Amino acid sequence: MSDVTNTAVDSTATPGVALMDQQPDDSVPARSPLHHVAQAQTGEVSANARVSIWEEPLKTHLILRGDAAAAGFREGVQAATGLDLPEPLQSQSKGDWSLSWITPDEWLLVGPGDQAFTMESRLREQLEGHYAVVNVGGGQSIVRLSGTEARSVLMKSCPYDVHDRHFPVGKVVTTVLGKTQATLRRLGDNDWEIVVRRSFADYIWRWLLDAASEHGVHTGPLLSAVKGQASHKTDTSTV
Amino acid sequence: MTQSNRLPRGGRIDRSRPLTFKFNGQTYQGFAGDSLASALLANGVDVIGRSFKYSRPRGIIAAGAEEPNAVFQLGATEATQTPNVRATQQELFDGLVSQPTSGWPNLNFDFMGLMGTILGRMLPPGFYYKTFMFPQAAWDTYEKYIRKAAGLGRSPREPDVDIYDHLNQHTDVLIVGAGPAGLAAALSAARSGARVILADEQAEMGGSLLDGGYTLDGQPAAEWLKATLDELARYDNVLLLPRSTVNGYHDHNFLTIHERRTDHIGDRAPANHSRQRLHRVRAKWVVLATGAHERPLVYGNNDLPGCMLASAVSTYINRYAVVPGNRLVLMTTNDNAYRTAFDWQDAGREVVAIVDTRQGAAGAWQEEARRRGIKVLTGHAVIEARGRKRVQGAVVSGLSPDGSQALGSDQVLVCDTLATSGGWSPAVHLSCHTGSRPIWDDEVIGFVPGKTVQKQLAAGAVAGRFGLNECLEEGASLGALAATNAGFTAEPAAVPTAECRPETRPMALFCVPHHKRNSRAPKQFVDFQTDVTAAAIELATREGFESIEHVKRYTAMGFGTDQGKLGNINGMAIAAKSLNQTISETGTTIFRPNYTPVTFGAIAGRHCNDLFDPMRYTAMHEWHVKHGAKFEDVGQWKRPWYYPKPGETMQQALNRECLATRDSVGILDASTLGKIDIQGKDAREFLGRVYTNAWAKLPVGKCRYGLMCREDGMVFDDGVTSCLGENHFLMTTTTGGAAGVLEWLELYHQTEWPELEVYMNTVTDHWATMTIAGPNARKLLSELTDDIDLDRDTFKFMDWRQGTVAGVPARVFRISFTGELSYEINVQAHYGLHVWEKLFEHGAKYDLTPYGTETMHILRAEKGFIIAGQDTDGSVHPYDLGMSWAVKEDKPFSFIGKRGMKREDCVRTDRKQLVGLKTLDPGIVLPEGAQAVDDPNQPKPMKMLGHITSSYYSANLERSIAMGLIRNGHNREGDIVYYPLENGRVVEAEICGTIFLDPKGERQNV
Repeated sequence: MSDVTNTAVDSTATPGVALMDQQPDDSVPARSPLHHVAQAQTGEVSANARVSIWEEPLKTHLILRGDAAAAGFREGVQAATGLDLPEPLQSQSKGDWSLSWITPDEWLLVGPGDQAFTMESRLREQLEGHYAVVNVGGGQSIVRLSGTEARSVLMKSCPYDVHDRHFPVGKVVTTVLGKTQATLRRLGDNDWEIVVRRSFADYIWRWLLDAASEHGVHTGPLLSAVKGQASHKTDTSTV
Repeated sequence: MTQSNRLPRGGRIDRSRPLTFKFNGQTYQGFAGDSLASALLANGVDVIGRSFKYSRPRGIIAAGAEEPNAVFQLGATEATQTPNVRATQQELFDGLVSQPTSGWPNLNFDFMGLMGTILGRMLPPGFYYKTFMFPQAAWDTYEKYIRKAAGLGRSPREPDVDIYDHLNQHTDVLIVGAGPAGLAAALSAARSGARVILADEQAEMGGSLLDGGYTLDGQPAAEWLKATLDELARYDNVLLLPRSTVNGYHDHNFLTIHERRTDHIGDRAPANHSRQRLHRVRAKWVVLATGAHERPLVYGNNDLPGCMLASAVSTYINRYAVVPGNRLVLMTTNDNAYRTAFDWQDAGREVVAIVDTRQGAAGAWQEEARRRGIKVLTGHAVIEARGRKRVQGAVVSGLSPDGSQALGSDQVLVCDTLATSGGWSPAVHLSCHTGSRPIWDDEVIGFVPGKTVQKQLAAGAVAGRFGLNECLEEGASLGALAATNAGFTAEPAAVPTAECRPETRPMALFCVPHHKRNSRAPKQFVDFQTDVTAAAIELATREGFESIEHVKRYTAMGFGTDQGKLGNINGMAIAAKSLNQTISETGTTIFRPNYTPVTFGAIAGRHCNDLFDPMRYTAMHEWHVKHGAKFEDVGQWKRPWYYPKPGETMQQALNRECLATRDSVGILDASTLGKIDIQGKDAREFLGRVYTNAWAKLPVGKCRYGLMCREDGMVFDDGVTSCLGENHFLMTTTTGGAAGVLEWLELYHQTEWPELEVYMNTVTDHWATMTIAGPNARKLLSELTDDIDLDRDTFKFMDWRQGTVAGVPARVFRISFTGELSYEINVQAHYGLHVWEKLFEHGAKYDLTPYGTETMHILRAEKGFIIAGQDTDGSVHPYDLGMSWAVKEDKPFSFIGKRGMKREDCVRTDRKQLVGLKTLDPGIVLPEGAQAVDDPNQPKPMKMLGHITSSYYSANLERSIAMGLIRNGHNREGDIVYYPLENGRVVEAEICGTIFLDPKGERQNV
């Protein structure tokens, strides 16, 4: 590795893998996938808005691949993140971190934006056996959808059943949204997290805005606070 | 205009809300609660169109979805034009503008009317085939006039101003139809807690309960209806969808519901509100409670305005307070239709007679008629209607007991309305949609739903149970069964009892005989919309069409937008009789989705305009837009195509971009290339199996180009893969192939080699990739990095390094698709724009020039680099491309495509092979796709040698260059081939090598 990496990286924990701190210092401006619509997130809430949509930009997104049945993987994830590997279609969250089941051997770990390298390093120290950790934070973002009509916006957008009985708080599903794919997680009765691919973010944003326009839509995170609903920060532990 | 046929009281209309509307240029008035049809009838409008083939005047027959004649064009403006609207289903709103769709050039003087009179004999069934199909070339001309004359309406010439959307629904029980059976089913299912959707095509739920003077448990039915709807509305597990037609029943209990959300409000939908919505429903169980359509009787001139369905007359009277005439003759085969005569009399108009086709019909209904003083003629039939634009009389004759012959002398009853009932046909359409054949039931005298593989139940009239009490009870019990089947604990809801007069057996009669043979009798219409007569069906069977499906296609019966809802059963029965078969033997044609016409808008939903397809953007997209890039769609990506400066043509821009890159330095946004992160101890082995070339010895820090083939040995993708660590690789793919390649790798990993320890993840979106290429690329990069040693001997061609570029951690790959000194800089996409802009800050002095995909294509073609999918098409293997250097035959494990490319056909020496081509006239750029021949003067069809795959003007070479496939091309260097073009011109070109520039590759190794 030393002939490749001019910046010193301690990759002894996982030999053979190019671990890389990809984040520059704060002087370099970062632009999230929905940076161009951020201006629209005014905080001004129309009295009629029953849906609000906003981006939670620049977070850490790590894909974990491994065998849930393998103790070296399962326990390693627990040790590094403090979170148990969620069961299929479920998620775990604690503090600023959430861990979502994606496919039978794939999970998505989301946390504060400046933690990607630290967390990946910690995981690689703890994990054993055959596994992979991939930093995908540059290629994904989170769109938050909230409000009393949030569910009907999703009904317009995806074929999956988002009814309370079928999609309780804490559940995670990767499904079709419009004509693309997204990962839905229910954070609360009227509160959803949508993980989107960077290149599709603008399409999904426009799609959701359009679907919500009938209900009155606010682009910004303030609706739940204004409406006196549970804060969107509500910690959602596993279901 | 006065509403001469409007009753002073009664009905479900709101007389305090008069509404003004237009039909055929005239202004009329109706009331809130009217349908367009009821409002027209209230105003005494008899003729609402002309018939398709014979151009006969037509009036409103029915009151629901089965209406064949009153199919109008709606819309006050060009942009809101809507064809195919059934006036019977269109609620009246203020300002509604409607036009008849038939009757060209106008309703009163009708060109086709004359034609119909003169040419009547010349328009037998099959006239399309017999008359218009030959000569073939004339069809285009015929069609224009046939379409216009056929009255199918027209599409708007301006874009639709309204929006339409989709809603995905999931439910435990979907109940189709909110008549008595559907309502009872909904009550049972709803009370169990199951998720229930109750959909009904009408504005008001209630079905037949809205139309008649029924009493339930001694109370007016309207009271039970209101209580039921109120209860259902209280449940949050119930969704009531009025104005919503369940139009399609697809596999796996997937149904589509067409909801008309604002068609009753006005010409346009309110802002941000969809005009119509398509509900896409996944139902665990479906209860069909679609009811039945009354069958009209078939007799001479039965299409005259004033000839109507008996039940429709009752509906107009009871629901809309409209009596569509003054003197009624009712012809019926059953007791139930007597109700219409009673309704008519109760409305204060004259019932001339009830003509009952049954010999000696006697029972409670006949008793009631006598009590009311209504004349009843049993064993009689109306064999012919008289009149020109409206019924003026009914010719009544005796009828043989089996209904086969008209007997005795005729009497003419003077009347203006002739209502008929031939019984009821269950609305089995939805149950047919999934392929279930309906079954003829002699007791029902109709087809009932057949065996189905769907989780479907049928309740009430659709199942042949026509009595109100039967409907309520069966609905309640099947609603409970559906909920139980869906996993809930359900009991049949208690339902009220209706007081019903007992009914005696109806008669099966599908065509009233005339004294003359059907072919000589006045026309007896079976299908009004396509003008199919009883005689035409008989002629079809005589001409040898024995299958009902063939009869349908030959006569066009059931081909209209009404799908023959009124006429099909009569038509099948007539065909059966003519073929000496039972109806069961003849069978029926199958109804298909959609039940009633659906607008394209509802089908498209929001998948239109800017939301038609996802547009994928790179992290630098805004910069491209700001700098005037023209974009090219590559897959769903928007890639800069070229960056014209003001006043530049495309070719001028390309020339400038090409020269600047080769002379100094250019930059390309390459972020769209597929990138797959591969980790695991077997990653290297895996690569060796999916690529044709060797990977065993690629050291960390190095990159290698690879070709990927399918099993057949044909190239399907290519790209550079870099060794990031001993167990870690980064694969790049073509932009369009990214998803397909990942799927391909997963497929092989999961199904063939699950023992290999490897994980693959897409990181396409994670990295922003910018390629700087040109002799000044190193100088430029050196200004932005201080931790990467760019020395030509330490950071060689096909090496990669990690470091910092413009303050951002980066992976820099020294690879080249242009043949120039070139670096691909990869940074986390959040910082892509920052690095890109820094490159321009420092690049100004080198005239750093952004170039797009077109210049990229030209530069790579100058070097003979292929583009998978352009120079290959799934029939080209690596040897055809002259890329044997990229195939490693002696790998310990095989690789995908190895055996494929050894097949006999793949080792022929005269395969089409990729070569370079230089036109003899350097100014001519051959069109891609042009076919090469050896002798341009040979007779057609010429023997083609292969086609041009890539062709450009190269500013660097000051001439055109091309690549193409030529049979045996690798052995034909120096030969001249000919490209005859579409415009007649023949272009000569010389076969050459594919590398046009810098054959030794010195430029990229500086």
